[in-house]
Amino acid sequence: MDSRLSNSSSSTHHSNSKKRKKNATANNANQKTLGVAWSSKSLSASSCSSRKSPFSDFSSYMAHKSCKLQNQFDSEASASAARNTIFSGVSIFVDGFTVPSSQELRGYMLKYGGRFENYFSRHCVTHIICSNLPDSKVKNIRAFSAGLPVVKPTWILDSIAANRLLSWVPYQLEQVASNQPKLSAFFTLKSSKMSEDTSTNALCQVEPDVEDSFPRVGQLKERHPSEAGEMVEVCRQISNESNDISSKKTDVFMMEEPISERVICDEEKLAEANSSETNNERNTEGELDPTYQEPSTSVSIPCSDNQNVHQFPSSEATGSSKQCHSTLTDPNFVENYFKNSRLHFIGTWRQRYRKRFPTLSTGLNNGISNSNKSDINSVILHVDMDCFFVSVVIRDKPALLDKPVAVCHSNNSKGTSEISSANYPARSYGIRAGMFVRDAKALCPHLVTFPYNFEAYEEAVSCDEAFLDFTDAMVEDPELLASSIRKEIYETTRCTASAGIGGNMLMARIATRTAKPNGQCYITPERVDDHLNQLPVDALPGIGYVLQEKLKKQCVHTCGQLRMISKNSLQKEYGMKTGEMLWKYSRGIDYRSVGIIQECKSIGADVNWGVRFRDMKDCEHFLINLCKEVSLRLQCCGVQGRTFTLKIKKRRKDADEPAKFMGCGDCENLSHSVTIPLATENVEILQRIVKQLLGCFYIDVKEIRGIGLHVSRLENADTSKQEKYTLKSWLTSGSASVKKQKYHMGHNKHNSDCANCASSHGCIHSQGSSFQIDNKILNIHVSGDPISTPPPLCQLDVEVIRNLPSEVFSELNEIYGGKLIDFIAKGKGKCESSSSLGNSLEDDAICKEEDLPYSDPIPLNQIFSENKAMQHERVLGSGHGSCSQVTHNSNIERDDLLPSSLSQIDASVLQQIPEDLKAVILEHLPAHRAQAFCSTPAICPGRINQDSVGVDTSKNCPGTVNHALNDSLRAGNLPSWMDKFKDSSCLRKLREIYHRSGFNSQLSSVLPQFLSEFHHLDLTQEIYDETVNIMCELLKQYVKVKIERDIEEIYICFRLLKRFAVKSQFFSRVYNDIFPFLQAAVDDNYGGSLFMP
Amino acid sequence: MQRKENETPQGQAASVLVEFLEVAITAVVFLKGVYPSGFLLPSLDSPSSMPFLFFFFFFLLLLLLLLLLLLLLLLLFDVGKGAFERRRYMNVVVQRARHPQLRYYIHATVSGLLPFLQKGMVDRVAVVFFNTDNVPLEKFIFKLTVNQSYGSSVEGVDLQISLRSFLAKLSVSESLTKKLPPDCRWEITGNFQLLPETGTSKEANFWIPTDTKQWEQPLFITPIRSMSSDPLCLQFYIEHPSLSESSVL
Repeated sequence: MDSRLSNSSSSTHHSNSKKRKKNATANNANQKTLGVAWSSKSLSASSCSSRKSPFSDFSSYMAHKSCKLQNQFDSEASASAARNTIFSGVSIFVDGFTVPSSQELRGYMLKYGGRFENYFSRHCVTHIICSNLPDSKVKNIRAFSAGLPVVKPTWILDSIAANRLLSWVPYQLEQVASNQPKLSAFFTLKSSKMSEDTSTNALCQVEPDVEDSFPRVGQLKERHPSEAGEMVEVCRQISNESNDISSKKTDVFMMEEPISERVICDEEKLAEANSSETNNERNTEGELDPTYQEPSTSVSIPCSDNQNVHQFPSSEATGSSKQCHSTLTDPNFVENYFKNSRLHFIGTWRQRYRKRFPTLSTGLNNGISNSNKSDINSVILHVDMDCFFVSVVIRDKPALLDKPVAVCHSNNSKGTSEISSANYPARSYGIRAGMFVRDAKALCPHLVTFPYNFEAYEEAVSCDEAFLDFTDAMVEDPELLASSIRKEIYETTRCTASAGIGGNMLMARIATRTAKPNGQCYITPERVDDHLNQLPVDALPGIGYVLQEKLKKQCVHTCGQLRMISKNSLQKEYGMKTGEMLWKYSRGIDYRSVGIIQECKSIGADVNWGVRFRDMKDCEHFLINLCKEVSLRLQCCGVQGRTFTLKIKKRRKDADEPAKFMGCGDCENLSHSVTIPLATENVEILQRIVKQLLGCFYIDVKEIRGIGLHVSRLENADTSKQEKYTLKSWLTSGSASVKKQKYHMGHNKHNSDCANCASSHGCIHSQGSSFQIDNKILNIHVSGDPISTPPPLCQLDVEVIRNLPSEVFSELNEIYGGKLIDFIAKGKGKCESSSSLGNSLEDDAICKEEDLPYSDPIPLNQIFSENKAMQHERVLGSGHGSCSQVTHNSNIERDDLLPSSLSQIDASVLQQIPEDLKAVILEHLPAHRAQAFCSTPAICPGRINQDSVGVDTSKNCPGTVNHALNDSLRAGNLPSWMDKFKDSSCLRKLREIYHRSGFNSQLSSVLPQFLSEFHHLDLTQEIYDETVNIMCELLKQYVKVKIERDIEEIYICFRLLKRFAVKSQFFSRVYNDIFPFLQAAVDDNYGGSLFMP
Repeated sequence: MQRKENETPQGQAASVLVEFLEVAITAVVFLKGVYPSGFLLPSLDSPSSMPFLFFFFFFLLLLLLLLLLLLLLLLLFDVGKGAFERRRYMNVVVQRARHPQLRYYIHATVSGLLPFLQKGMVDRVAVVFFNTDNVPLEKFIFKLTVNQSYGSSVEGVDLQISLRSFLAKLSVSESLTKKLPPDCRWEITGNFQLLPETGTSKEANFWIPTDTKQWEQPLFITPIRSMSSDPLCLQFYIEHPSLSESSVL
């Protein structure tokens, strides 16, 4: 008590106690600052008098307080009997508002053995928990956090859920995490060496997707031009075992296998040609010093802060390389990425190679395989270069011959770069492909690593594996031949090769395996069984890690053990195909025959490394580049595709930061695909498709860790290219079957001959929309086989021809050699009378829509579809001169042709659609709408067009509008009826604002903005009954929709409206009209009237 | 926060709602100032209350003698605290009744609603303020709709965040309300869509039909906050008697 007294005696004023109370209240309101505020005010008062007070000053008070809090916490913690100590050693400080609240977090810390600090202190706090930080704190993050991690509260929750302390890194606050080295920062700061190192981790798969892991291989005979009469069998095998980066010899291998030296010469010539071609392309001028040549110089970056000295003399390619390298900042990320990828090199190699042997590939295409797969005496030779990547690199460095050498992106021993190939001395240390460099260095400290040398690879042999079927060659001693081939290879390339000979491809490959390094092995049919018995299962092609593990579980380690298991049980266990494969392979049976080139089924590109996006823009930019890349590849292979698949790797919710730097980590794989009627390789079309596909995912771009775009259903571009954008192809295709061609107002309808291409799509022909225009163009060019001639002149319908758009007509005229004009002139008299009603309507429409960018000729006409065979459900409707056709198919694949919003569907048409169908359409629409907004520009013309049609409707018969409003409001929400505003500039303004605001379907958020812009409009002309009516109708509908569930929204809207009403005559009219209705509605629902102050 | 996994979404929503209602009703009562809210100081959490006491004592010393001061101190200690104390709920500062009976009344009433909320029988929950003649002056109404057909699970946190906005809005809505005359009383009423049959369940027996005078005149509604989400749709508004009647009063 004494202390209190002395305290009070030191008080200066007592009369203004009220004021002090206020102060105190303010202090109290913010407890956090309480101590501080108080101390500053009363420090003088208390310090002199506090001799006997427990607290000598503020700091001791605080110390005492936190001590007390700590004791409290401790006692509570001991009371709760912390059996779980996930968070032992963790001490959190919660800053600001969090979900869950700080109190809950405190509870968790209590429960799970952590500590909770009420006041921040650098010494006791280990983690700062907050969900959001003000900018000032972010800017000065070190001052705020004192270097401690700033983590989101989900870290704690997830840790509890996982029952272990998770790494806080992935849970770092985004605002703070953005200060962390991103890819961009990384590349600008670190040396090029480092950047390469990271690139090693790039996981990309570019090779043509081959569905079976082993393609069917046929046989082919080709007459070599230079050696008439001599059969050269070119055998190829494309093995695409898996997309796994760690599998070493994954991809495409090939070698020419000549029978005579003559052919080898040819090969050499070709190789020369290759290299000269390469030289031309790259201006490397033969200065290829394999050791110092840096193949991936495109990655080495002349950074803005040029702190990295180029460690390797750069080739010319470096000069052209790009400034920076990331998904975020590098505009050419995709390009550079693939330039630097080994798998890409291997994968695309076959394409390049095929181009160089055009005769060969045509021969292949026409090749009639006289397959002799059942021939028991067949002999297959398999030649494989010994540790190809390494041998190329070290062939000019004899000193390194016996040293362990590996090829990888970087020789940074700390890096997580993966070894792609290691030579035999290195392998004896246990170094394997796919290892991290640091692990390899641990095994073998004096390991020499080299970067890739792609150009040298091309120059040397291009690729390192080939099969040869010389069953028919009547060779006496296959071993002799093999050795001569190997010798030849060595002389030509200075790299060693191994050869295996067996009865089929499988055995040949297995033989090579035993022959390595630099040897050869012949497994005669008699020895097959012995050999296989001892063979470990993982030596069989097609058996990867997973399968091997499964087999191990069954105690199957060798092929001999595998052979014990019956085919049936194998198939049951591993599936039909795999089971059969296992059964066959374990018996050395392989019916595949050598030679047929697998037509690639899809072409695409995946980037699963280094993909981090900040926002949608980044992502779109990246996709554009990806599209370019894919398009280039398609062009490269001379094909076009119809099905486009976008694959996305999305970070799993609970995934940690991947071990591999900037890797994709633990991801969910998502994919969407779309099929279009006409094959394309056009970049722009690709981009648009991809954009739409991306929209389908509804994904936060920040979560994306990898993106792949694949194009399948490939068609040869050569045929389609010639026909591109000409009607001829369509006219000529299958004209025999199409007796009568349907042209209706310039819109071409296809009969079932294009069913192959349009087998599954539903579309809505929305007038004038750009989608549809594409669709039309595409449809026109869909062609089966372009062989026959155009239908005879007499079969053409004059009326149809006459109504064709002029361009189409002139093209047709060209096809018919100018006769068409005469033909039309003749027929004109006849068909004068039969000019259709639709025609006049069309003219009418065009008059009305003169100002529109697209004056599509079809909008006001009924469209007839002949596509019954395609099971299209279609709805025809006509309402007040406007009509739209809604064609729908249950296949969602094609729903990108749905209109961008409900507004584009004529409500009257919608009304007539059967209920179930309507439901389906409506269900599909909202999903589509969201994505369409991304590409609004493309849609706009269509929308405007539609709107203008709508205006006519609404002006002519307001009743219909109301009806339509009713309908659309029931069906959807704001967007649908917002589109009804188009007949007066002010309302259109409202609509624009609404569209800008991002379609959040809350009128109250739109109205204030509207008001602010309202005054710019000349209102005097605008106020006429129609506008007021429509506005009222809108509000009525809105009230009806919202009154039951969201009276607050209505209240806000009408208070706003009332405020407007003071300023604008228009709104006062609207308000007065609508107010009684509003009150009635409120009365109905709530038994009272809204109180409008 | 730990809820049973096997609860229905309606059940989850209802239990969150009950918690919320308890807090919200207390907040309404606090807002209306039916009980003294501490004329000197608002209530304080124990650890931080020390500094205020100093101020408080300066004031007292110069008015009274030492012994009197001691007596008064004890007296004011009680009064000054008021009927409510600050607490935190969903990270918003809210009030909590200090008096056990008051706390119990609110708690028991709202908890009694729980089974009916789950069944979706409750149409609205009202906090009604009466004058001395038992004429209601102001009603704070929570109009509820629990979508019974909603199937998927409820994210408790999301719901809480939505409900949180009610509390935030309520704390600044004092201007919308009317000043109450002294000596008024209040009660919590529930409007059921259909009356629970008495005797069928234990809970139903807690509820007695009210017979308060209703307004004859049309009433005015002032919405405060609405939330519509599945499975819970909640609207919070104030009802006042029409102006004519209030002028009579």
